[in-house]
Amino acid sequence: MAEQQTPGTSSRVTYDYVTRTIARTLGGPSRGYFVLLGAAVALLLVGIITLLYLLRYGLGLAGYSHPVYWAVFITCFVFWVGIAHSGTLISAILFLFRSGWRTAVYRTAEAMTVFAVMTAGLFPLIHIGRQWYFYWLIPYPNERGLWPNFKSPLIWDEFAIGTYFTVSTVFLIMGLIPDVAAVRDLATGWRKKLYTITSLGWTGTNEQWRHYSKGYLYLAALATPLVLSVHSVVSWDFAMAIVPGWHATIFAPYFVAGAIYSGCAMVITLLTPIRKLFGLEELITVHHYENLAKLCLLTGSIVGYAYVCEYFIAWFSGNPHERAAFWYRAFGPYWWATWTMIICNAFLPLLLWVKKIRTNITALFVISIFVNIGMWFERYVIIVVSLAGEPYEPWANAVYNPTWADWGIMAGSFGWFFMWFLLFVKNFPAVSISEVKEVLAPPKRGQVRSR
Amino acid sequence: MVLILALPLAAVYGQQAQSTSSPAASRYKAPVISDTGDLKGPRQPIFFRHDIHAGQDQIPCMYCHYSAAVSSEPGLPSLQTCMGCHQLVGGSTPSHQAEIKKVRDAWRERKAPEWVRIHALPGFVRFPHMRHIKVLGTGGCANCHGDVQTMPQVYQVSTLRMGWCVRCHVERKVTRDCSVCHY
Amino acid sequence: MSDSIDRRRFLKVLGVTGAGAATVSACGIGPEPTEKLIPYLVQPEDQIPGKATYYATTCRECAAGCGVVARVREGRAVKLEGNPESPINRGRLCSRGQAALQGLYNPDRVPHPMVRNANGTFEAIDWDGAIQRLRAKVAEARGKGIVFVSGAEVSSFGDLVDEWLKLVGGRRLSYEAFGFDALRAGNRLAFGTATLPTYDLANAKYILSFGADFLDTWLSPVEFQNGFTQAHAFEGGRSASMAKFVYVAPRLSLTGMSADEWIAARPGTEGTLALAMAQVIVSRHLARQPADASRLVGLLSGYAPSAVAEAIGIDQDTIVRLAREFASSGGGLAVAGGMATQYENGAAIVAAVNILNYVAGSVGSLVKFGADSAVGSAGTFADLVALKADMDAGRVALLLVHGANPAHSFPGAFQQALGKVGYKVSFSSYMDETTAACDLILPDHHPLEQWGDSRPRAGVTAFQQPVVQPVFETRQTGDVILQLAGRTGTFKDYVQGKWRTLQPRGRTPAAGGDQFVFDAMTKGGVYGESPTRAVRLAADLSAVAPRLSTEQKGSGEDQTIVVFPHPVLHDGRGANKPWLQELPDPVSKIAWHSWVEVHPDTAAKWGLATGDFLLLRSKFGAQKFPAWLTRSVRPDVLAVPTGQGHVAYGRYAQDRSANAFELLSRDANGYGGRTFVVAATATKTGEHRKIVTTEGSPRERGRGTVEVLGVARAKSLRPGQAPFHHEETPEYASKAVEWWAERQHEKTELGNYRGEHPRWGLAIDLSKCTGCSACVTACYAENNIATVGEDLMQRGREMSWLRLERYWLTDEHGEPQGAVNSPMLCQQCGNAPCEPVCPVFAAYHTPDGLNAQVYNRCVGTRYCSNNCPYKVRYFNWYNYAERGGKYEAFPEPLSMLLNPDVTVREKGVMEKCTFCVQRIRGAQNQARLEDRGVRDGEIVTACQQTCPSEAIVFGDLNDPRSRVSQLAGDPRGYHVLAGLNTKPAITYLARVVAQETPSHG
Repeated sequence: MAEQQTPGTSSRVTYDYVTRTIARTLGGPSRGYFVLLGAAVALLLVGIITLLYLLRYGLGLAGYSHPVYWAVFITCFVFWVGIAHSGTLISAILFLFRSGWRTAVYRTAEAMTVFAVMTAGLFPLIHIGRQWYFYWLIPYPNERGLWPNFKSPLIWDEFAIGTYFTVSTVFLIMGLIPDVAAVRDLATGWRKKLYTITSLGWTGTNEQWRHYSKGYLYLAALATPLVLSVHSVVSWDFAMAIVPGWHATIFAPYFVAGAIYSGCAMVITLLTPIRKLFGLEELITVHHYENLAKLCLLTGSIVGYAYVCEYFIAWFSGNPHERAAFWYRAFGPYWWATWTMIICNAFLPLLLWVKKIRTNITALFVISIFVNIGMWFERYVIIVVSLAGEPYEPWANAVYNPTWADWGIMAGSFGWFFMWFLLFVKNFPAVSISEVKEVLAPPKRGQVRSR
Repeated sequence: MVLILALPLAAVYGQQAQSTSSPAASRYKAPVISDTGDLKGPRQPIFFRHDIHAGQDQIPCMYCHYSAAVSSEPGLPSLQTCMGCHQLVGGSTPSHQAEIKKVRDAWRERKAPEWVRIHALPGFVRFPHMRHIKVLGTGGCANCHGDVQTMPQVYQVSTLRMGWCVRCHVERKVTRDCSVCHY
Repeated sequence: MSDSIDRRRFLKVLGVTGAGAATVSACGIGPEPTEKLIPYLVQPEDQIPGKATYYATTCRECAAGCGVVARVREGRAVKLEGNPESPINRGRLCSRGQAALQGLYNPDRVPHPMVRNANGTFEAIDWDGAIQRLRAKVAEARGKGIVFVSGAEVSSFGDLVDEWLKLVGGRRLSYEAFGFDALRAGNRLAFGTATLPTYDLANAKYILSFGADFLDTWLSPVEFQNGFTQAHAFEGGRSASMAKFVYVAPRLSLTGMSADEWIAARPGTEGTLALAMAQVIVSRHLARQPADASRLVGLLSGYAPSAVAEAIGIDQDTIVRLAREFASSGGGLAVAGGMATQYENGAAIVAAVNILNYVAGSVGSLVKFGADSAVGSAGTFADLVALKADMDAGRVALLLVHGANPAHSFPGAFQQALGKVGYKVSFSSYMDETTAACDLILPDHHPLEQWGDSRPRAGVTAFQQPVVQPVFETRQTGDVILQLAGRTGTFKDYVQGKWRTLQPRGRTPAAGGDQFVFDAMTKGGVYGESPTRAVRLAADLSAVAPRLSTEQKGSGEDQTIVVFPHPVLHDGRGANKPWLQELPDPVSKIAWHSWVEVHPDTAAKWGLATGDFLLLRSKFGAQKFPAWLTRSVRPDVLAVPTGQGHVAYGRYAQDRSANAFELLSRDANGYGGRTFVVAATATKTGEHRKIVTTEGSPRERGRGTVEVLGVARAKSLRPGQAPFHHEETPEYASKAVEWWAERQHEKTELGNYRGEHPRWGLAIDLSKCTGCSACVTACYAENNIATVGEDLMQRGREMSWLRLERYWLTDEHGEPQGAVNSPMLCQQCGNAPCEPVCPVFAAYHTPDGLNAQVYNRCVGTRYCSNNCPYKVRYFNWYNYAERGGKYEAFPEPLSMLLNPDVTVREKGVMEKCTFCVQRIRGAQNQARLEDRGVRDGEIVTACQQTCPSEAIVFGDLNDPRSRVSQLAGDPRGYHVLAGLNTKPAITYLARVVAQETPSHG
């Protein structure tokens, strides 16, 4: 029967085991959980207070310095959008590719996606000078007869992010239906009510299953192109500008790869503690980790290649401005940021070639954290350093330093993200019950009797 | 001497008045107002009746708002201008006399009345009155200010919002370039 | 937007001036019911609401006596511009002149008379009371010594004071911190006359300056700059011959930046160099010599280049070359001043330079004696020292101070002496150091509120008339004096009486006089020809030979410290005006702070970095300054500017950096002048400060920001040639650009633009621009640009729409020989990167070719600035107009000078230069009223208007006859970063230098 089992899961994992373990994750929260949640909320408060200051006194509180007019806020924006990516990749593309190992991890990934987009979406609103007029960016008919400028990449962004958020949310909810129904039957009290509503009257009849799987398939097909589109559009915020270091044709693929890379890393970072906390070792196994690691290895190499491309083209094009920009990047006052990025993103993941490391969860956890840091710095380097270098006007260059306001908002964003994520895993199945069962061997009489 | 200053102006604008004001307006008779409570518009320190001055007596707008045709600002009549006539004109009814007395007292005490502003634009909008008078003629005031000639107490008739400006500019096929009003 | 502030200020003004409230505008949407409109009682004839009135008067920021025209809106002076009628400044103005408005509306003015009470603090007092006191004090002090200290007052006011002092038996001392004693003494030595000549820079063919900073602080800067540009600029005013400019001084000043060659002679040897050159000229008969030049042979014999080159610190070939160039130019003009005249041997140096001019035959042609200059009229430093002595000795019972601040420029000594004076009265309207030490303050009107005049030179009388009602309860000192003298009539009558006497003979005094005065007032003064007279060599020339001054170099440890006047803060009088504080020093680009210039080699010896503090300790005092490392100063010299280090003088000046005057000797030198060079020890304190500088990279790195041509190459250029041509529109793009341009012109069929298809453009001639930065201040004044203060400027938050980029010109050894200054402002690109990226069309293209910025539409994504290759967009990080806010830029009543035609920007919006669009629209409206098109030259941007060297020209590029489109076609013309296909509307004309192989960084 072993060949019928998904690789990595032991024979103890039966349908019934799955239901029970996963249902357990919804049980009374441990102290560890509360500590984490508390930390998240505290961070969020820091962010909220900082935001109030920004609104009252102005963006001057942040570290901006002419000509560095975009900085940490936009860096975080791109960072979070990036995080959002692997979610859909894992749930949609791998679903279409019928890769079984996704089942254990895709729920977490999807949740992460939705909350990451929710986080990213806040930054464009926070970083503009007159936040109270953010709605001018939205096309709506008005007496003045004024519309936003559809030529502006910022407007494209608006739509790209909006679409992505809607689709990935729908996708998450849809995937939840049968699971919620499963836990509904175990739950009691207010939760019972909650699940009854969210399970949309799921009873698991053949009919329902047939429609469900069809719908899920189509939705997956629909979501797949988004994985590529969203971050391409985000990258055009930069690629469309003439700033050396931004104005490059490789940006779209470069950003998408980077996004998936950071996304997978983030999945690893999130799964590891949850796995421990909820005792899901049996369901989320080294096998899954290894696959995620391989995904990291692939995308990471693409990112590394993109780095090389950038520098090569800067040199090869012979464009003095381009050359100046990249020289400044590597050897200017921000050399440390650049090298952090290169080491964390291009060199560190090379360790994953080694199976020993690839299959060592602690090692993976550490590496994934470094990748997250590296990817944050990648955006920082692209945005801040390109502007600070100012290769066109040698007179106008600045050395920019973030202030408490920058860090405050950034901390807030992490708080916001983790708060939602923690609330989710406690109240909804963090691992898909139905899909895990799909890849298990169907129960045999013997096992049933033993129950 | 005030009178001397006032009269020639009156003569000058007198002609203009005939040329621009419609015959209908010249037949206008300002109503006697017993209760000012239900009049539209803010209460002014002096109950100055545009309907009597501009409507019944046919004094052209430009007589008091002297700079509207040459400057971006319409200008507010100096108290001296009021006295130009009210040195002599004392008013027919007691209520009128009471109001005119306020004017004369103010003049004696050298203390100008503080009129309540009715038409105001945000500070980031430039509205060149003279350009509009130039094309619409001296009678064109009504386009935005309404039929002031029949208002015992002036109130705002147009929203003065951008949409309202733009609508008119679109109809008349004139510039809609932002930097014509906003700089 | 936040010009609700504008409005409130406005109503405030009504209270003050009683003007009409026509331009009142509400904040946000719709009317505010509470808002009041207060009409005039009597309509002033010369005022139409919403229209500016212009009054001609005279700038009194320095004694040059430039004519200004004040632009007044509803009783507020909102802008100063040069008076074209004036022969001094020909309609141009410097930064200090522009900033006079901030003196008028300064928040730290003394609002009313004040008297020191029992417990030593000031308390308010009414005018009658104050004058009673003063009268009593004068009565007491009669015979016990009454002294009136004034600035350089060659004016009716000065005359009145003298008359009165004769009456009460006192004496007047007019004092200027940077006197011209050396010039007078030197002229006496050489020609036996102690007057100051006029220098005809405009017609010079070779200009040699021995330390004379005639472009920034020396005598009459605006006038000189105008003349200098005509001579020095390529094709400036004359044939394409470009007068070479050689600058001899221990450091490169603002004036030095325009130099084609910099001779860093050893301090104190300038005169020796001059005589050496004279020796060459005489001995080799390089020029036709005056008859009595033979008398010089004996004197000069000791100055053969071979003999003195060593001492001067340059090789003798250079001396000979300079002499040849100077003589053969057929119009060599040497001027001595500034640094060179502030040594112990300053007078001798001036005399030596006079002799150089004399043997070259320039005296009488380019250097004309006869018209004595007002600035020079000040008493000598020796007089002040004498006064101090009298004060110490208790020989002064009553001291009256007007228009001078000796307690700052002669610190310590004078301060102590003040303590020993019986009673001290100040007429200053600012609480400066001297005033703070006085017992009674009778604040005078600001010059813009005054009647008065000044006589900058013989034959020229510049009139002053009040352009606004007094802002505070001040009173004209002239009137006070008249009252004290018990004379009837006002000072106005007194002045106008004097003016009547100016009319040419044979006119009826009375009625004719009034007419004459009225006409003159509309012109701003009476401008006659200055008399000239020939001068011969003095009988005794023995004293000319300048001692090679070695005594500045004391013990081995000592450094030579050179103290020089700050280009805009000057002796410190400018320090209370935020515009001037925030204006980066044209050379060092440092703002809000003082500094000491150190040569990198010296710094390397001491392990010094820019921003490290140096403690300078001379025999007389010690002060700390942060170091600025630069090659524009001699390695054996440290240079320190004056201007900062006030202990009083208002919020902008007080407790800011250190006072360089502290280091200077307290005794007058041989010729009665002051020595500004002092030996001092320099020790590193270990403190460090991030000095505020707008300097990015001092090197242009060949990025095509500035272009420089050798003079020969420039001359060889023919019309139609384009050495800097770029293929601006690549083949594939040209179609799209054309299509887009047509779309623009479709819009021009509407409204304003019917019939006209203007494209506004600018031409900036870099070989005219001297970097004086007057345009920057003018831009601040015209466009309500906020000053952000030191700590925000440190974080690169300055709002200056127009910045001057200074790139050093270096010789083959990398030593600076001058600098190229390039005004960088919005290029109003025809194909602008900022426009497509704005999500709300706040940045968009107007049909007449401007990159408009709609402040009230901007949401502040700042994408436009990121995408702007010129980096000329500035963001409002805070609400700089917020009442009482931390960063309030226009505190009461400074806000009165806000230009009502320009929106005061709100927190969170982007702002930038739009070629003074308010002026463009104004002209278009006027033209439309008169049923005509806008004429070329009718629209003048603020920067163009004020530029003393006329480097900026504005106009319509689509009109082939306009001046700007002709300049745009000049072969020297180029577009900055043209390769980006941004199609800028600004054409820069390359800087032309004498070197054949110019380098810029």
